[in-house]
Amino acid sequence: MNGKTRTIRVDTLARVEGEGAILIKLNGDRVTDVKLRIYEPPRFFEAFLRGRHYSEVADITARICGICPIAYQMSAVHAIERALGVQIDPAIRMLRRLFYCGEWIESHALHVYMLHAPDFLGYQDVLAMAKDHREIVEQSLRLKKIGNHIVRVLGGREIHPISATVGGFSKTPSKQQLRSMRDDLRWALDASIATVKLVAGFEFPDFEQDYEFVALAHPDEYPFNEGRLVSNRGLNIDAAEYEDHFFEQHVKHSNSLHSVHRGSGSYLVGPLARFNLNFDKLPAPARQAAQDVGLVPPVKNPFRSIIVRAVELVFACAEALRIIEEYAPPASASAKVEVRRGVGQAITEAPRGILYHRYAVDDNGLIVTAKIVPPTSQNQKRIEDDLRDFAAQVAAWPLEEATWKCEQAVRNYDPCISCATHFLRVSIERT
Amino acid sequence: MTRIIGCGTDHRGDDAAGLLVARELGEVAHSGDGLSLIEAWQGCDELILIDAVVTGAPPGEIVVWDGRRAPATASVFRSSSHTFGVAEALQLARLLDRLPASVTIFGIEAATFRIGASPSAPVAAAIERLVQRIKNLHAAPVAPDIHMNPGTVAKPVH
Repeated sequence: MNGKTRTIRVDTLARVEGEGAILIKLNGDRVTDVKLRIYEPPRFFEAFLRGRHYSEVADITARICGICPIAYQMSAVHAIERALGVQIDPAIRMLRRLFYCGEWIESHALHVYMLHAPDFLGYQDVLAMAKDHREIVEQSLRLKKIGNHIVRVLGGREIHPISATVGGFSKTPSKQQLRSMRDDLRWALDASIATVKLVAGFEFPDFEQDYEFVALAHPDEYPFNEGRLVSNRGLNIDAAEYEDHFFEQHVKHSNSLHSVHRGSGSYLVGPLARFNLNFDKLPAPARQAAQDVGLVPPVKNPFRSIIVRAVELVFACAEALRIIEEYAPPASASAKVEVRRGVGQAITEAPRGILYHRYAVDDNGLIVTAKIVPPTSQNQKRIEDDLRDFAAQVAAWPLEEATWKCEQAVRNYDPCISCATHFLRVSIERT
Repeated sequence: MTRIIGCGTDHRGDDAAGLLVARELGEVAHSGDGLSLIEAWQGCDELILIDAVVTGAPPGEIVVWDGRRAPATASVFRSSSHTFGVAEALQLARLLDRLPASVTIFGIEAATFRIGASPSAPVAAAIERLVQRIKNLHAAPVAPDIHMNPGTVAKPVH
């Protein structure tokens, strides 16, 4: 193999959200180049938010993604609330957590079963998998439907929900409306626990990395909307300090900016980071489900992220049930908002990892500047670093198998390319 | 029970065709997300699905096929930018026995998917023709319900 050059090339990555490609160049077993190329066109959201009224931002940014619109809405409303000094009702805070539970259930059910499981079970896609594993697909559809239902009840509709506002919601649900979801969520909780067991039985490549995990951390809760940004290497900052520590750089081969931790390089956001940094905050059923399959932090094998996503499904179902039990409708659907000039930053935990928003608002409530750093931009450099090490490990394999494994290594991150173009095809070149 | 679902995306040229037909008929306008689409047709025994298509026919031509018989390929439908759209929904539903007893697909041949564009003239005309055609499909008077007062006009069955 020495001296033989090969290329691993995937021109259109499958089972990821959006359009991207991978090119890996090998010289013998040495990796000479790795490029994760995101060619989905740029979206320019930050530019066209300028001059819009603050009240429009949640609806505009929800359009960035059909999979995680709630993440965009939550980071947007929290950032603007910080800019305007708005305090929200504790019941609104609970409803926002429930809203996020719906999105995590939808997104994780899709990725665990439909997008990632076929890799481990040896199928090209979910359609091929459905012929032999009908029950898995049925379970996925039912779980996703339950997540969709939560989103519809709180957001008015499933895709690009419309009810989130600065200060709260345009309308809040009755206690009865939420209680009607309990039976479905109890089934979903049991199904998620069974899913943890199922996916923990998959075979995982022997591959660990020394990651900097970055996630929100809250004193009492597994994080959604609140908390300080922490890492396993000592980072502990408020959202307002994010841009002092992280910056984005343009790379020629991608329409997505690469986010870099100043002084240390790539970092990892998403399920592995949240789990490793917040394990003790998981509710008992989720912690138990993880421990039962021997999953304890630190999890450093990115392929095992499928188990962590399943544990987070357990978390989201348990948390939704807790909120529904404790919910009492707020006196008002939204807090009073007074316009003032200001700048606000917020970070929330999208299913794929932290999502940073910053807005400057003028005296008339119009947006002066906007900055949005999606999770896939933050993971992009880390995905390339994983590929560099992983490609070396599979360099001697037959090209087709190596290519498939490298694609799988990208899917570990559940990348949302549409969001990041601000993505997938894989090429391995042996030169 | 018949369910009529039009799929597509607004503000993307002819991709809105299915949505516009559904709206004009007062029926279900759907994003075309495959997984929720399977849910959207649960419980009906007759499904009429409308979407913009690319088959190589002249723009505005209406193509009709039996969704239960003919496998649809993803390249035909353009309503979803993600990987699981109308074609995949039909294929997966077939595997899971979740296809209604009758599935009729009306495709409107598209000319443009330009962001921000309105539907092209031939597609706008096809939308009107298809609305009328679907109305006619279901305009046949149904046997009056035994409780119906004499003279009550039977509503089209949707």
